[in-house]
Amino acid sequence: MSRSTKKGPYVDAKLLKKIETMNAKNDKRVLKTWARACTVIPDMVGHTIGIHDGRRHVPIYITEEMVGHKLGEFAPTRTFKGHGDKAERSTALK
Amino acid sequence: MRKTRSHVWENYVSVGEVTAPHGIHGELRVYPTTDFPDRLLARTTVWVDGLEGPQEIMSVKPRPPLVIMQLRSVATREQAEMLRGASLYVPIDSLPALGEGEYYWFELEGLEVRDASSKAPIGILSKIIRAGGNQDVFEVAREGMPPLLVPALKSVVARVDLPQNVMEVDLPPGLEDLS
Repeated sequence: MSRSTKKGPYVDAKLLKKIETMNAKNDKRVLKTWARACTVIPDMVGHTIGIHDGRRHVPIYITEEMVGHKLGEFAPTRTFKGHGDKAERSTALK
Repeated sequence: MRKTRSHVWENYVSVGEVTAPHGIHGELRVYPTTDFPDRLLARTTVWVDGLEGPQEIMSVKPRPPLVIMQLRSVATREQAEMLRGASLYVPIDSLPALGEGEYYWFELEGLEVRDASSKAPIGILSKIIRAGGNQDVFEVAREGMPPLLVPALKSVVARVDLPQNVMEVDLPPGLEDLS
């Protein structure tokens, strides 16, 4: 069931305060958060946030397409170890 | 389900895995393990673990998330059943070159990661993690320290020199505090 429209999206207060302070100073320091349920808001775009995956903080660069999603969606909690073969996978630097 | 490989596929990359036979004429259900499933549809040969030499592909049909593949050498369901769990490979030298700023994972794994300004070694790129949002994160193994996670961003990765086996990174402030 979705969250009530009246309440608005859940945004972690501590994280929001840090983001607002950094935006005021135009600072791009990497932040740490455990708030996986926090919704991505436009103020976070352009920041790199270390999102806790249950074990460590995964640095994720926040883009416009992520707005409205939860931070936890971008730091998977389970890792597929693969079969040990080289795979035809590629990385494009964003 | 097969768990072992018939031999080491040193100069090959896996492009799929046979999940089950399909029908009674030896067709295979293949789960693509590639970022480029369209390439699998266009291929004419593939190497299959457990079969000798290149195998001619007679037809490939997309059935997302799988593809249905018919090999010339596999004509019955019983033959297809024997390949359940087998991996499909293609030679590395048959892979097309990627665009600017794009790299195959096997090219990046094992690179020495250095700081872009001081040129000091940081560690070895040991693994690539596919995070959500179509972003990848490099795991850099460091001696005597926990691994460092580096986002795959142009603003962070200053230079990749594949012939020299080196990646230079410009770590943003606070990134090292994450590990």
